[in-house]
Amino acid sequence: MNALQEQFVTEARELIRQAIDDLIALERDGTSPERIDRVFRAFHTLKGSAGVVELPAMSIVMHALEDLLAELRRGTLGTSAATIDQALECLDLVSQWVDQFEDNGSLTAQADTDGRVMVERLRSFLPQQTEQPARSSRPIGSDGPLPEWASALIAAEREALASRLGSRLSDVFAISYEPIVGCFFSGDDPLQLMRQLPELLALRIETREAFPPLMELDPYACNLRLQAISAGEHDEIARIFRLVPDQVRISAVPAEALPIRVFDINDGKGVLIGKVVEAQIDLLRIPNRRDDFAGCVGAAAQSAANALRHGDYPQLAEMVVRAKALALSQCDAAPLLVALEQALLALDGARSLVAAEDVDGSNAALADAAQRPVQRVLRVSEAKIEALVNLAGELVVAKNTLAHSAKCIEEELAGRGAIESIRRDHQAIERLVLELHGSILQLRMVPVGQVFQSFPRLARDISRQLGKKVELVMRGEGTEADKTIVDRLFEPLVHLVRNAMDHGIEDPGQRLVAGKPETATVSIEASRIRDRFLVQVADDGRGIDPGVVRRKASEKRMLPPEELAALTDEQVIELVFAPGFSTTSEVSDISGRGIGMDVVRSTIEQMGGRVSLQSRAGTGTTVQLDMPTTIALSRIMVVETGGRLFGISMDAVSETVRVTPDRISQIKNNNGFVFRDRVVPIVALAELMKLPAQTKDGTIAKLLVVMEASGKVAALEIDAIHDRLDVVLKPMQGLLAGARGYAGTTLLGNGQVLLVLDIKELLP
Amino acid sequence: MTVRTADNGMLVLEGVCPVEDAEALLQLLQARPTAALDWAQCSQLHTAVLQVVLASGLVPSGPCGDAWVAKWLTPKPLQKG
Repeated sequence: MNALQEQFVTEARELIRQAIDDLIALERDGTSPERIDRVFRAFHTLKGSAGVVELPAMSIVMHALEDLLAELRRGTLGTSAATIDQALECLDLVSQWVDQFEDNGSLTAQADTDGRVMVERLRSFLPQQTEQPARSSRPIGSDGPLPEWASALIAAEREALASRLGSRLSDVFAISYEPIVGCFFSGDDPLQLMRQLPELLALRIETREAFPPLMELDPYACNLRLQAISAGEHDEIARIFRLVPDQVRISAVPAEALPIRVFDINDGKGVLIGKVVEAQIDLLRIPNRRDDFAGCVGAAAQSAANALRHGDYPQLAEMVVRAKALALSQCDAAPLLVALEQALLALDGARSLVAAEDVDGSNAALADAAQRPVQRVLRVSEAKIEALVNLAGELVVAKNTLAHSAKCIEEELAGRGAIESIRRDHQAIERLVLELHGSILQLRMVPVGQVFQSFPRLARDISRQLGKKVELVMRGEGTEADKTIVDRLFEPLVHLVRNAMDHGIEDPGQRLVAGKPETATVSIEASRIRDRFLVQVADDGRGIDPGVVRRKASEKRMLPPEELAALTDEQVIELVFAPGFSTTSEVSDISGRGIGMDVVRSTIEQMGGRVSLQSRAGTGTTVQLDMPTTIALSRIMVVETGGRLFGISMDAVSETVRVTPDRISQIKNNNGFVFRDRVVPIVALAELMKLPAQTKDGTIAKLLVVMEASGKVAALEIDAIHDRLDVVLKPMQGLLAGARGYAGTTLLGNGQVLLVLDIKELLP
Repeated sequence: MTVRTADNGMLVLEGVCPVEDAEALLQLLQARPTAALDWAQCSQLHTAVLQVVLASGLVPSGPCGDAWVAKWLTPKPLQKG
């Protein structure tokens, strides 16, 4: 894929997601012009960019979707669930195409067929063409809000428009004419139609899709959209386009959108009167009016004089009336023109004042726009950031090495002045490296909102499917965490939200009986507490009944009966995280087969996080995911066994203890000891790592690291504990990629490679 | 022919340029995409011909001889869609 195509894929995904959000909001909150406009823009951009990367199927489908939206905007089509469903389904199809395009650089032949089917289905929602004659007074196009292009054109042509419009307050129309692609073959010349427009004020031509390279251009495929602002009569305009009614849209331009209103607002300084007088001058200057000279001069003079009198300029009015008599007697408009120009000069002071204000006003607006803070975003490929993160990580390791060297030198050159400077420099480098590392990690921080965005859609679909009324509340979308964490959060969240809606939330009837509002609330909330990133999914549903969980667990023989009986209610509820546990009797296609919760737990734990659950029968369930904000640095403990060094993640270490042999007892085939009222099995790390067993003095106390992972507790017997380090963990690569039991590797200060153990896999 | 290559190599549109001129002009432009274009003598321009001019990205020298086009479509004939 080239850069353009890559950009298309990224943008298309963003636009689709945004359109989906807005469509759901439209359904929920009703139509608002801003929101519809935003969806329109998204659709329009999608359509246009599909043309650029040559995906005609997508352009056609988006076009049909735009039509559907136009009907929504016009109010002829309600935002019924069925309509929104269809629109969402269409976006799903487009989204699949984008994926396909990303993978193969093109669409399969099936896409055309799918596209046609989709267009048919979208069209079936549109009002039938036969209903058109009902709007007989305005046969063509429609009056919606002023199209965006029209506002832009009016703004761009403001000055020209104001002078062309003069002081008239006539109706003004925005005409958008989009000829069909094959129009040239039917003998149409779109420009010819535009030429006929009465009282043309502004014109622009835009391409519907970007032009292909000249070598591929089809000269007879019309790719233009012609847009105009006209002050002509609506019926006259409609008559011009009578043969192409489906290709044109005529909307009335509200008077306040026109530049003339500026003069109206600033009236009282003779501005409007000036415009009236000016208009008469223009009128008199039109040649070939000799046939109706008297009428023309009389009317012009009368209008000007009336305006001047109205504006409290009786002398000027008198002057104009005298000039009229002179002009009529001489059969020449010149004396009247002179008088009118003199009147204009007299008014000029006031007018230029207002004009200056106007200019100031627009300049101020421009300056304002320039000063508004613009959030610029730089797109950088993930690989580049990744490379930077890796380099910064290695720098941290190199810094650690330097610490090691500095220590050696310090020992050899104790008391010399050079030591001080080395120590100082080392401290400076250490500070800078850590700051640099921190800033680079910040580059990978993304707001969790990225993941949240998909949930309104998901919640809507599930609630429709289940017939439950659910309001999804999201908070803390701006909370940031490492991209890897945010990305991996998606699946667990999907499971949790689905579970909440499917199992947690009761049917509306049950809720009413329980005295709860019919509409349930499911909330997703993200927050950051120090360096922890917390995400909480809560519902106000029926909660988890420990009794039910206990019964299920015993039916499924998940634990020996006596162990199950010993568990507290809180501990029982935790069993929902156990693999293969499902509390609903029937398997639904929403939350699957009970594989959800254990997947949630394992995914979060892989990121160095923890999952906890609180539930009260009748009031709801809250699941809290507690994760680090970044996973780039891990804190490890370096331990020694059998003469070798290994790293253990500090997350798993709960305590280190020395235990005398008399406290250790043989339980079944293993050694174990009682620690804080629990029997903890002892595992020799040397044995686990298949290192030669060392004969030890049986009377010496053993050094044990008590580890806790995935709910299992064990004590690892080791020979010695060395440093605790913050390291950049590199995944096992190459030949070692498949080795089990290791979380990764890191470099020690002396350049030695340290294997970091994955305790979860090692513990029995 | 209302589309021709002048002696100085300039592509010239003359008189009433009908729809067929679009193809003729396109062929000339495909052969010499950077040729200069003169439409001062064109008295009436068909949409298809205008479209080829727009697609070429060339800025013709001087205003269009078709007064209506000159008035309404210069100096920025095309808005990006």
